[in-house]
Amino acid sequence: MKRRAFSIAAGAILAGVLGFAGPAAAEKVKIGISIPAATHGWTGGLNYQTNRTVDAMRKAFPDVEFIVAAASDPNKQVNDVEDLVATHRINALVILPFESEPLTEPVKQVRKQGVFVTVVDRGLSEPGIENLYVGGNNPQYGVVAAEYFKRKFPNGASIVVMRGIPTAIDNIRIEAFQKALAGTKIKVLDMQYANWNPDKGFQVMQDYLQRFSAIDGVWAGDDDAALGALEAIKQAGRQDKIALLGGSGMNRVVKAVMDGGSPIDADIFYPPTIIIPAIGLTVLRSTTQAPVQGRYVLDSPLITKENAGDYYFAASPY
Amino acid sequence: MALLAVQGLRKSFETTEVLKGIDLSVGRGEVLALVGENGAGKSTLMRVVGGYTPPGAGTLAFEGGPLPGGVDAAEARGIVLVHQEFNLAPHLSAAENVFLGRERMRGPFIDRAGMERDTRQALTLLGCSAPPRARLADLAVSDWQMVELAKALNRRPKLLLMDEPTAVLSAPECERLFACIEAFRANGGSVVFTSHKLDEVKRIADRVAVLRDGEIVRIAPAGALTEHEMATLMVGRPLSDLYPEKPGRLSDAAPLLEVEDLRSPGHVRGASFALRPGEIVGIAGLVGSGRTECFEALLGLRPATAGRFRLRGAERALPGAREAWTLGLAYLTEDRKGKGLLLDKGLRENLLLTDGALSGGPMIDDNAERVVLEEAVAVFSIRARDRGAPVRALSGGNQQKLLVAKTLRPGPELVVFDEPTRGVDIGSKQGVYRVIAGLAAQGRCCVVISSEMAELIGLCHRVIVMRRGRTVGEVAGERMTEQEIVRFAMGLEEAAYV
Amino acid sequence: MSDTALVVRERAGLRGALGAAGPLVALLALVLLGAAVNPAFLGPDNISNVLTRSAIVGIIAVGTTFVITAGGLDLSVGSMSALIAGLMILAMNTLLPFLGAGWTTVLLGMGAALLLGLLCGGLNGLLVVKGGVDAFIATLGTMGVFRSVLTWVANGGSISLDFGLRSVARPIYYGGVFGVSFPLLALLAVSVLGEVALRRMRFGRHVAAIGSNREVARYSAVRVDRVRVLTYVIQGVCVALATLIYVPRLGAATPATGLMWELEAIAAVVIGGTALNGGFGRVWGSVVGVLILGLIQNILNLSNLVSPYLNGAFQGAIIIIAVVLQQRRKPR
Repeated sequence: MKRRAFSIAAGAILAGVLGFAGPAAAEKVKIGISIPAATHGWTGGLNYQTNRTVDAMRKAFPDVEFIVAAASDPNKQVNDVEDLVATHRINALVILPFESEPLTEPVKQVRKQGVFVTVVDRGLSEPGIENLYVGGNNPQYGVVAAEYFKRKFPNGASIVVMRGIPTAIDNIRIEAFQKALAGTKIKVLDMQYANWNPDKGFQVMQDYLQRFSAIDGVWAGDDDAALGALEAIKQAGRQDKIALLGGSGMNRVVKAVMDGGSPIDADIFYPPTIIIPAIGLTVLRSTTQAPVQGRYVLDSPLITKENAGDYYFAASPY
Repeated sequence: MALLAVQGLRKSFETTEVLKGIDLSVGRGEVLALVGENGAGKSTLMRVVGGYTPPGAGTLAFEGGPLPGGVDAAEARGIVLVHQEFNLAPHLSAAENVFLGRERMRGPFIDRAGMERDTRQALTLLGCSAPPRARLADLAVSDWQMVELAKALNRRPKLLLMDEPTAVLSAPECERLFACIEAFRANGGSVVFTSHKLDEVKRIADRVAVLRDGEIVRIAPAGALTEHEMATLMVGRPLSDLYPEKPGRLSDAAPLLEVEDLRSPGHVRGASFALRPGEIVGIAGLVGSGRTECFEALLGLRPATAGRFRLRGAERALPGAREAWTLGLAYLTEDRKGKGLLLDKGLRENLLLTDGALSGGPMIDDNAERVVLEEAVAVFSIRARDRGAPVRALSGGNQQKLLVAKTLRPGPELVVFDEPTRGVDIGSKQGVYRVIAGLAAQGRCCVVISSEMAELIGLCHRVIVMRRGRTVGEVAGERMTEQEIVRFAMGLEEAAYV
Repeated sequence: MSDTALVVRERAGLRGALGAAGPLVALLALVLLGAAVNPAFLGPDNISNVLTRSAIVGIIAVGTTFVITAGGLDLSVGSMSALIAGLMILAMNTLLPFLGAGWTTVLLGMGAALLLGLLCGGLNGLLVVKGGVDAFIATLGTMGVFRSVLTWVANGGSISLDFGLRSVARPIYYGGVFGVSFPLLALLAVSVLGEVALRRMRFGRHVAAIGSNREVARYSAVRVDRVRVLTYVIQGVCVALATLIYVPRLGAATPATGLMWELEAIAAVVIGGTALNGGFGRVWGSVVGVLILGLIQNILNLSNLVSPYLNGAFQGAIIIIAVVLQQRRKPR
């Protein structure tokens, strides 16, 4: 792994040198990729998948140069985007915005300079800026979670919910979830932020278990928080009485679903692999002029024991 | 008509009455000295007149009119107080300090050049060569006093109040200050100052007011009182001789410590001397001559090298700070508040700071410590009602006694006293002298660094003089006079002392 | 002279008494509030949950008390904990094929963690004391370094403890004796040791002296550099101890492990009555501070007292109130 990280860096430097030195420089296409740094599990997986894809793409398309920048906050991402355009003179930008609002204007400026823009996952606040949108289906994410509990408890139940980090996507998912549950007998006892973080998930779940003597189900928002909640449920010895659902398709959780026997018997697909088609399509467009403009929305289906094998990436750290 | 007239002034803090009905007047062009022991009320009186503390009862009149309260009002009328503790910002330049809060503007901008020019002029008048642009932190403490004074004079006062202005100044610097006061007076300005140095009081004051326990016990023309009379009035009882008898010493005793060519970057450029058990050695020199630094270097408190260092006859490397302490070499700092005592801590933590452990292991034995503290309080007659209260609440004299007790606690063989009586009243001074003489009588070696030559001559067996980081001479016996010391200190005579 | 006497007397009054007990008063108020909002709050399970959870940051805060009392600061503790957790898990997973899923492996992993804590703390101490780098900057730097190294080692994902080892180590967090959990016992032991060291030992006196006035300590023949480095080493070892307890809880380390723990620890220390600029510290206060922070979270989770959006505001308000309650010394 470490060697791979090193060779990517070395490759980037080498590519940079060649880009300025060789006669082939004029032919070379530069693609900039801007993503959030690994601040929680999912973004960690995102970084892994990005590097993996870029690595493969470099081999397949030697004429394409890739520059990857990971930002720890929206402000730094704006700087990254400006640098990619100003110093690297990229031809195409693949960006997964940290937050929609602050990135909208900078990306708009990039597009104005004739750069091909691919936006991933988190949409910008203004429609029509990007050439290509590749995203998961966030409303569907919430709906699938709601459907899971409806199917599990046709006669009604009491459930608790953990929200993620306060962001637009979290709001979209939760709204869709609540809407889909409206009119059913499933009652949401309480919602607290668990920041998609296992420690926070553990803590919130411990307190939920103290507060409510009857909990039938838990939606932990994502798999990281679900793993924390799972330990709290085990500690209380209530693993046989509570249905626990996370989301996003962490390989450890998908494996558990596949193997069975865990309180977590399902997952929602919303993986960091979303970046792969985004990079792929952008490369294709840059090298072959394939017409790829438009919106590509990947499904967020429910992962169950039956189909888990399709969503399991053993090598991914996430 | 008097410039300032004070009548029936009273002031209490809590239940303690600090000023008990003061009547005082200061004429135009008059220099009045306030003398008295620490705690007699001198500083409080100054602070009330300067507007820093509201009076409890009584009236204050200035130029015939009543004086409204507050510092700003007082300064607006022309009364400026120079504190004993510096009121300067160490990270600003001398000029910025002089003009602090009264910056001169040129349009929207600060007129730096103008301020620096005026500061240079003011400092030159005071005989101070510090550059106006120098950061205060980089200047010597005597320069601070001059900057403080320049700052006060910059406010164009009619009445200048100075609390212990000469405490940190060397003899030549004092001279310049006196010349300045003289010039200020010649222009019609009036001065009230406090001082513990009675000889200078006699020299520059027109009148002397002696305070004792919040009352003025005597106001008289300076010429009408001898120093001895002043001291007796201050203490309120007959004063025996200020300096104790010098203990006999064995000049043939083997040296406790010998050092040759001691150097410390920037300050000490070659100091050599030997110190013997049972003797009191004075160290004289102008401020900046490296006196303090020399002994800090010797005791591991600053980086240093030495051509040769011998302790009790055995040659060895210069010790580190901790090592020096273990070897019985102690240093009593001149900077009590900055380097000597933890002002926020109680008596016990301070007295036993270095080696609290008394139960053998690393644990502190509470009872044993309490016994040690009570012993020290008794031996050094430290007056403190609450043993746990921070030592900040103690008077300066009692803080100094505590510092002495702390320094002497491990029973050191060599004790370096750096300005041990600065800002201390006559009574406490005598106490310190007795301690030093007592130590020497026990066979310990005492080094006294002091700017007061009378003190060195009265107390020490011999005096080593330093100049520009070097030991340049030594006087003893008949030759131990102020003139001799000054000649060495000023570089008028280079002795063969190496 | 006389106006300082005034301050002393004032401090000895009601304000002073309240000051000494301030954190306890705040803690008691929170307990009453908790009991009022939810009867389950006082249940043995909930109390045990909160105390056990608090043990992790609690042990860290004991070390923080030393660093801050000596006039230092360590912002790197959260990142350090993440790094130690990751490397400790890696060490155990690596040893697994040779030693099997048993206590030997776990104990060796714990030993490695303690050693690493020692080294990380030593690094901070040397940077600050010998390197002369301002503590804020030095530890801000190592804070970034520690977390990045973990993220790099983990490839941005999580490092998971082998499931066999997990069941062996699990009792370290979840087990206990006589109904008292091991983490709580560890917290008690560490805080008693810390309180004794800071209050009853020469070392503690030197720590406070250095924080109060470093020059005075130096002139009093205190080994200032050594003591200062030692406070950072103590902090490192405390972080390692806390991590030992943390790892068995979820059996994984992620780049988000220990996020903001440094601020929680510093807040707890200040709530507990330790002077943020050094010179005075009390370990028991820090532990009470951590409990206060833990209880706030717990109460918020147990009730609908405030909107989840305002959790941070509630927490911030309590911290400020707790500190105002025990304002001991006025700046002069």
